[in-house]
Amino acid sequence: MRARTAQLSLFGVAILIGLLLVGQLRSQQRPVELRSLAPQELSALVQSLSTRNRELQAGLAAQREQLDGYQRAQAEGRSRLELGQQEVLALNAFSGVGAVQGRGIRIEVDGFLDWIAVNDLVNELRNSRAEAIGIDGVRVTGRTVAVPGVDGVVIDGTTIGARFVVSAVGDPEELYAAITGPGGIKDQLEQVTSVTMTLREVDLVVVPATARELAFNVAQPVE
Amino acid sequence: MSTRTQWVISVAMALATVGFVGAAQFNSSVERTAFTTSAQEVLAIQIGQLEAEQQALQDQLAAVNAQIETFQASAPGSEADLAALNARLATARAAAGLTPLRGPGVQIEIADSLRQVPPGESAANYLVLAEDLRAIVVALWASGAEAIAINGERLVSTTSIRAVGNPVLVNDSYLQPPFVIQAIGPPEGLAAFESHPSFLSTVQRRIDAFGLEYAWATMDQLDLPAFVGTPTFREGVPVRPEGGG
Repeated sequence: MRARTAQLSLFGVAILIGLLLVGQLRSQQRPVELRSLAPQELSALVQSLSTRNRELQAGLAAQREQLDGYQRAQAEGRSRLELGQQEVLALNAFSGVGAVQGRGIRIEVDGFLDWIAVNDLVNELRNSRAEAIGIDGVRVTGRTVAVPGVDGVVIDGTTIGARFVVSAVGDPEELYAAITGPGGIKDQLEQVTSVTMTLREVDLVVVPATARELAFNVAQPVE
Repeated sequence: MSTRTQWVISVAMALATVGFVGAAQFNSSVERTAFTTSAQEVLAIQIGQLEAEQQALQDQLAAVNAQIETFQASAPGSEADLAALNARLATARAAAGLTPLRGPGVQIEIADSLRQVPPGESAANYLVLAEDLRAIVVALWASGAEAIAINGERLVSTTSIRAVGNPVLVNDSYLQPPFVIQAIGPPEGLAAFESHPSFLSTVQRRIDAFGLEYAWATMDQLDLPAFVGTPTFREGVPVRPEGGG
């Protein structure tokens, strides 16, 4: 009888261990409930989403204006050629097929940065809402990445030297503050490498068009 | 050793295990729930509203874009100029990422580790981080990708992949694991992404060390959505190419 009781007890304990282990393993996973994120994370998410929504609203207004233009052109029997040409120009500027100019920042980098750091710098500029980026005259498109090469960092087939210039079109204050802020990428790179980064806000930056062919070989547009 | 002693030792060990696991469970439960403040509740609700607003704005943008494309495509007659312009528009839209694409490629799925986080170690090590996604994307572009999307967010010239704490934002949209990265490109070239230094030095190292869940496959056909956002600039102005355009 005593042996039977002990067996039953052990059985119960084994089940309890199983249940607790499952609960423990589940609780190790990423908290998908927003409420379980830290307040700082939640605040940053609110800020990012708000900014994106403002941009989407502005973009929607611009697209509606463009649509109105087409509708007016049709009503007035005018050619839609000019409107279309303007849109081609804008789309090419966005993709990198066309050059872009405007306010922004200019960063002079002196010292060796490896390809990982160059990609990090580009990503940081994009985080800070850079609209167009060029590195030593090479346009950074959506498909452009820095990769290791024999003689240094290679960007779209061009090797950049130990001294190079990064140009970015965007809000100069926002870009400058994001790159140079405490703990920002300038601090990080200058701490772990021998590089020196000199930034300037400028009224006119010209970022060239890409020299790269952006056509698709295997991808097909879906109608 | 008598049978009774063996039973006593077994039961004692089992109870000790229950106590240990129970304590661990209690601690992690406390960590997850005890600090959910009313401020967090409010912020979480606000995020939900902002995400819904973002979706609605994206839907409206897609609808207006479709209307614009209809206007552009509905050229009366067969004027050669308009036909040429429409072809240029289609090319420009595709290059900008505003056209859905179809083609062969690779699909990668990566998710948080299922391993138990050892005491004293950072739980973030066991999560997929923005830097993992960036490293995969770099490896894919370098391996010949023509288009990439992460959880349906198409990557374009202005895309940033960043972390806000542990949460990951792509195109400023909040994405959650598992992360599905789809890349269209020549499959034989893309398959080399795993041997690219960007993948090896970051992602492979973390898969090996922390057990991030990871799998990939070549695909005969992938469908990538268009970027739903604004291809317009606040500061930048297109430079008209010399000789027209």
